[in-house]
Amino acid sequence: MTLAHSEMPTPERVRSAAFTPTRLGRRGIDEAEVRAFCEWVADGLGMLLNDNNMLQAEIMRLRDRLLDGNKGRTGIQPEDAHVQAVQVLSQAQQTADRYVADAQEYSRELAEEARLRRDEILNEAKVRASMILEDAHTTATKAANAARDTPEPLSAAERQDLQAEIAYLRTFSDVCRTHLRAYLESLTRSIDEWENAEHNGTLTARHPQPPHPPQPHPASQPTEHV
Amino acid sequence: MDERRLKESFARAAAYGDQVPLFFYSHLFLDHPETRAMFPVSMANQRDKLLNALGRVIADVSNHDALVPFLQGLGRDHRKFGTLAAHYPAVGASLLATLAHFNGTEWNDDLARDWTEAYTTIAQVMTEAATADEAANPASWAATVVGHERRTMDIAVLRVLPDAPFRYTPGQSVAVECGARPRLWRYYSMANAPRHDGTIDFHIRIIDGGTVSSALARNVSIGSRLRLGAPLGTLTLDTRSRRDIVLAAGSTGLAPLKAIIEHAAGLGDPPRVHLVFGVRTAAELYDLADLEKMAAQWPWLTVTPAVSAEPEYRGDTGTVADVIGRRIPLAGQDAYICGSPAMVTATADRLHLLGMAPDHIHVEDFGWSES
Repeated sequence: MTLAHSEMPTPERVRSAAFTPTRLGRRGIDEAEVRAFCEWVADGLGMLLNDNNMLQAEIMRLRDRLLDGNKGRTGIQPEDAHVQAVQVLSQAQQTADRYVADAQEYSRELAEEARLRRDEILNEAKVRASMILEDAHTTATKAANAARDTPEPLSAAERQDLQAEIAYLRTFSDVCRTHLRAYLESLTRSIDEWENAEHNGTLTARHPQPPHPPQPHPASQPTEHV
Repeated sequence: MDERRLKESFARAAAYGDQVPLFFYSHLFLDHPETRAMFPVSMANQRDKLLNALGRVIADVSNHDALVPFLQGLGRDHRKFGTLAAHYPAVGASLLATLAHFNGTEWNDDLARDWTEAYTTIAQVMTEAATADEAANPASWAATVVGHERRTMDIAVLRVLPDAPFRYTPGQSVAVECGARPRLWRYYSMANAPRHDGTIDFHIRIIDGGTVSSALARNVSIGSRLRLGAPLGTLTLDTRSRRDIVLAAGSTGLAPLKAIIEHAAGLGDPPRVHLVFGVRTAAELYDLADLEKMAAQWPWLTVTPAVSAEPEYRGDTGTVADVIGRRIPLAGQDAYICGSPAMVTATADRLHLLGMAPDHIHVEDFGWSES
């Protein structure tokens, strides 16, 4: 972040401050903390400026009254009333600004949280996918080793059996992969739906249900994937 | 007109910071309620913009070479907001009232005269530029959405068709307003060179909590109407340079660079172009299919995706700067960079460090919408 010191800090400037990420190898500071701090400073600054403005107006009003008093005028002067109207409108505007900023902040937090959860779900699914694949590979390797290590030359029937077994395991691993891919896709879809539902305001009590993880059963016939 | 007196009186008011534009706008809206509809509900950003613009005008008040083009641009730019010549005196009156208010007892007739004179000149330069622009261009271009593709969770590609011909140079960007977020304009780059059918693509990345980006990606659909301001920006292809080109894109910073590739394709003898498309995870390579098609069609184009936050990715991993450093000899090349401000700075610094001449590095973070 670069600051021109001639510039007065405004609440908006504090709120929208962007900080340059620290260079590699150095330790940065907690971004959420910085953000929260800026929010706090911006709120405080806004209130102080507001107070300052009201006091300034009061000073001017009193001074004008004093000067006018010498001229023998009484009651609220039109210019005075106009300045007061400006102050009232300014305060209303600041309230509106605050509401918009709060709503925006809330939606930012929600979106950020949803993004984190999405990444978590996808990562978890990825880990599970690689675990299932690994298992399938281990089983296949074991079967292959068992076949190789058999001292007796295999009979043609045994060889055929083993080859069928290996082919089956390969297919099984393919099925796992396909199922997992489908699982990941349906996860993404359900997140999309969740998001759309939220966006359309139709999300009532319905929470996103991740689809069931695939459990391909070895007894199922995987012929369609061969 | 006494320049020193003008600057002093402005500095006295400016010391009140945000209160100054707050007072100014309230004063304007009270005296001319019809002007309120030209602004968004929240005025916080607007106030910062006004104070910055005023500060710049006052700082450069005697430097006409810098001031006049700035004011002309401002005058043209205000056309899309619906600003008319008739609005200028109203703004002038509220500006004077604001300065008088914050200068308190220091305010006098001489100052009032100085400011009236200065503002009259400012308004004249702005309105003249706006009037000259009226002869050539509409105040804004209405456009219809003809394509809307959600490429990833966070990125949508929008195709729009302006009602009237919209001329621009590839690499430029434009302020966009959609009906769901009236009076909020955000800059996006055209992602293609001008086409015969007049359609324009925009790449929209949803910013968390962003008001306009999320509306463009989610609320807008085919048939929706948008408004575009005048094209602007200087990240355009230097066709006089005979050097080869490195393009560094961070996420949707790809848009203007893709337009530049299409621009190069239209040249008789295109330079060799190497595009590095940087994203966090491979799932965010939202436009890779199209880029690969382009690379297959044009032998002078190479496309390298760079994935920074997915160690198991099988291609190039690291930031755009990392990948460029590893893969591309930079001597005698031009570079064009677009992405988040942090990505642009980091990449430009690295290219400079690797020996690229600073005036060969073209940079833009203007088209990067943060909301």
